Amino acid sequence: MAALLPLMVSPGTTAAKLPAAAVRTHTITIENVQYTPAHLTVRRGDRIVWVNKDLFPHTVTATDKAFDSGSIDVSKTWTFLAKKRGTFGYSCTFHPTMKGTIEVK
Amino acid sequence: MRPTIVFCTAVLGLVAAGARAQGGPTDPQIAAIVVTANQVDIDAGNLAKKKAHSSEVKAFAERMVVDHSGVNKSAGELVQKLHVTPESNPTSESLKKGGDDNLAALGKLSGAAFDTAYIDHEVAYHEAVLSAVDKTLIPSAHNAQLKALLVKVRPAFVAHLEHAKHLQAQLAKSGG
Repeated sequence: MAALLPLMVSPGTTAAKLPAAAVRTHTITIENVQYTPAHLTVRRGDRIVWVNKDLFPHTVTATDKAFDSGSIDVSKTWTFLAKKRGTFGYSCTFHPTMKGTIEVK
Repeated sequence: MRPTIVFCTAVLGLVAAGARAQGGPTDPQIAAIVVTANQVDIDAGNLAKKKAHSSEVKAFAERMVVDHSGVNKSAGELVQKLHVTPESNPTSESLKKGGDDNLAALGKLSGAAFDTAYIDHEVAYHEAVLSAVDKTLIPSAHNAQLKALLVKVRPAFVAHLEHAKHLQAQLAKSGG
């Protein structure tokens, strides 16, 4: 989606005057049976990477099931591209006490 | 008093007594306690994966097997790295015996009665282990990396305890 954005700029617009549309990457660490940071605000189009530094697998599963990483093994990552604006609660299906939110602006 | 409670109280008593008598368990003894504590819960989980009635209890049992196996893998790697040989001691032996007794008791149960007994034991067990981790194992650990591992595994026991308590409340509500 982000790759298509330059094509949507109307002819005659000077690309140099537009704000940089670089995709930012944010990292959320999974460790000690929690997500850190538990709340993260990003811009639409940003990339979020969850890194599992815990001793066993976890998931990143949206409360409304909009996204679901499936099992993220130890030392593995899962990447999500924030395409839709809104606030999304998520949890680990394996460990119901783990909760986080991402806010896409 | 239920057997699970008796068992866990005995474990706590032993850990506390050991701490008073000898200034706490040594690192090789702590390593044996950690490995045994995890293995006991893996064994119970493997039985519950087969025998549990409710799908949620089955899923919890599967998680106990995966998580405690993960912890034991890390513990095993660490003791190898530190050249610590786990040393059997009264606490690890009591944990093992308690685990065997629990398996024998659970083996006689089925259906909802199995689920309730398994989850009740998981609640009492995680409470007892957490208390031992906080009061004895972390304060007694001499090696900084062993202490760090204990600190790192603690949140898993807390999360498991909360999960087990949630299931316990659900089972009580459903009459299980």
